[in-house]
Amino acid sequence: MTTATAPESMYRNDEGLGIWEHRGKVAAVGVGHAPTTRRWDGRPETSVGAISIQALRRAIEDAGVAPDQIDGLVVVPVTTTGAFWEAGKPLPTDVIESFEQTDDPLDGVAKLSTEWLLANMPELSNVQFTMYGPGCMSNALNVAAQAVGDGLTHTCLVVKSWHNFEGRYYQGGANAGEALPGTAAITQLWGAPACYGTALQFAEYCRKYGKSHEMMAPFMENSRRNGLMFPEGYWAQHRPEELAPEDYLASRWIAKPANLFDNDLPIMMSGAYLFSTAERAAGMRQKPVYILNHASSNTRSRSLFPTLDEVEEETARTARKIYEGAGITAADLSFENMYDGFSLFHQFHLEGLGYRGIKFGEALDFYQTDISIEGPNPVSPSGGNIGSGRSRVWMHTDCIQQLQGRAGARQVTGVKPEVAVSGGPMPSGGNYTVWSASPD
Amino acid sequence: MVVLISFDIDGTLEVGDPPGVLTMDMVRLVREKGFLIGSCSDRTLSGQRAIWAQHEIEVDFVVSKHMLPDVKAQFEADVYYHIGDREDLDRRYALAAGFEFLWPHEAVAHPHFLATG
Repeated sequence: MTTATAPESMYRNDEGLGIWEHRGKVAAVGVGHAPTTRRWDGRPETSVGAISIQALRRAIEDAGVAPDQIDGLVVVPVTTTGAFWEAGKPLPTDVIESFEQTDDPLDGVAKLSTEWLLANMPELSNVQFTMYGPGCMSNALNVAAQAVGDGLTHTCLVVKSWHNFEGRYYQGGANAGEALPGTAAITQLWGAPACYGTALQFAEYCRKYGKSHEMMAPFMENSRRNGLMFPEGYWAQHRPEELAPEDYLASRWIAKPANLFDNDLPIMMSGAYLFSTAERAAGMRQKPVYILNHASSNTRSRSLFPTLDEVEEETARTARKIYEGAGITAADLSFENMYDGFSLFHQFHLEGLGYRGIKFGEALDFYQTDISIEGPNPVSPSGGNIGSGRSRVWMHTDCIQQLQGRAGARQVTGVKPEVAVSGGPMPSGGNYTVWSASPD
Repeated sequence: MVVLISFDIDGTLEVGDPPGVLTMDMVRLVREKGFLIGSCSDRTLSGQRAIWAQHEIEVDFVVSKHMLPDVKAQFEADVYYHIGDREDLDRRYALAAGFEFLWPHEAVAHPHFLATG
């Protein structure tokens, strides 16, 4: 089976599309996570392929379906942004040979294909539809939702995994080469760290609105608190440490005003969901969480990095798409779980959404109020990547679990969980999903 | 002679992630010798304190990676050492702050960390 990357027609990139034609007709039911680790220890059972299988099987079990009922699989094929198999390093043959192989020896070690998964999960005997949702789980969710809605698959697994190797992050791959391809030679000419663009936008934000980096501290503390109540996450599993304001503000700058903790911690993880039609989901083990809409942001900035003006314009545009397709307004949101991989852009998402009526320039003030899960205005109840490590997945799992009433200690109590939005990664460039406890 | 030793944690101490070659008993040894000791790490300040408390080792300071100049300003010593495993975050910061620098494998062989040293 040859797997294609999702075409542009799968995404809702534009305003004016009206209500999503499959609103309330697609549901998430099963959730599965593999244990997290800081980095790969070289064993077959902890490889990115192995943990992907584990997460998928847990999602299947969670949904209470027989594997042969599953007819679709959507995968994010790239399992890193910054950890690469060092050129010239001997391949882990013992690991590779522990599994059924594809043509790519690093499949299941440093990347993930549908072919590798299907070869190593013989129980998925009826998968007829496969597709890649590139980049992030946010993207794959949009693809899976559209695919189920379009009738390409009726019971579909979605999986996103991350690997992490020992050594430095973002030091390998293209960054270790003698030359940079294409426009990267311009955008990366000065070797700025990955958070540089966001740091610039945040610096301009603080100048424009008279705010400061210190105002981020309550959000960071709240996010880590929520993450420590996320048993699937890294910090809860391995290092249950809070992130008090003193800790956050004492950290060194990476790209001022972005400090170390404004950057998420690379980990190994895998998260998977089982999507189905609303009709089929009604008979599954867990309460269905309905998808009201998905929307995408694909605006190109004018120059090397989006400016603050462009970020604000784009987040507002994305919000309009989100609300239009779902048939809701900002007032309908019970909570939000927008991306926080660089913590400093979470408020751009919040302001674009108009969450709780806040306007541009008001989010950092909003952080000084009660943003806890117990309050009326929960911010990032998942805790995001700050709370659980680099994944771009926690936000989606939390939305599903909150709306199913399965978020445990993290369950929001200050609001009734009815409608939520999650997605990312970037304020300019990402994919978003609107979730609901009811189909309408 | 007053000696101050700053320890990186991850990649340096046995309790780090990844674990390093310096054991907590080695740290206790230099503590018992009357050295000024502490940690200089990317871990949170509270996280560093928790590690020392867990191992019942009293330290004189815990700081973030960029704060070695503050340590030097706060404590008067005849020699300042920083021990760490990273060229950029440990050795460079240490030398810039006027510290002597030791890689972990150098530290374990250093007379300060020998019972008879």
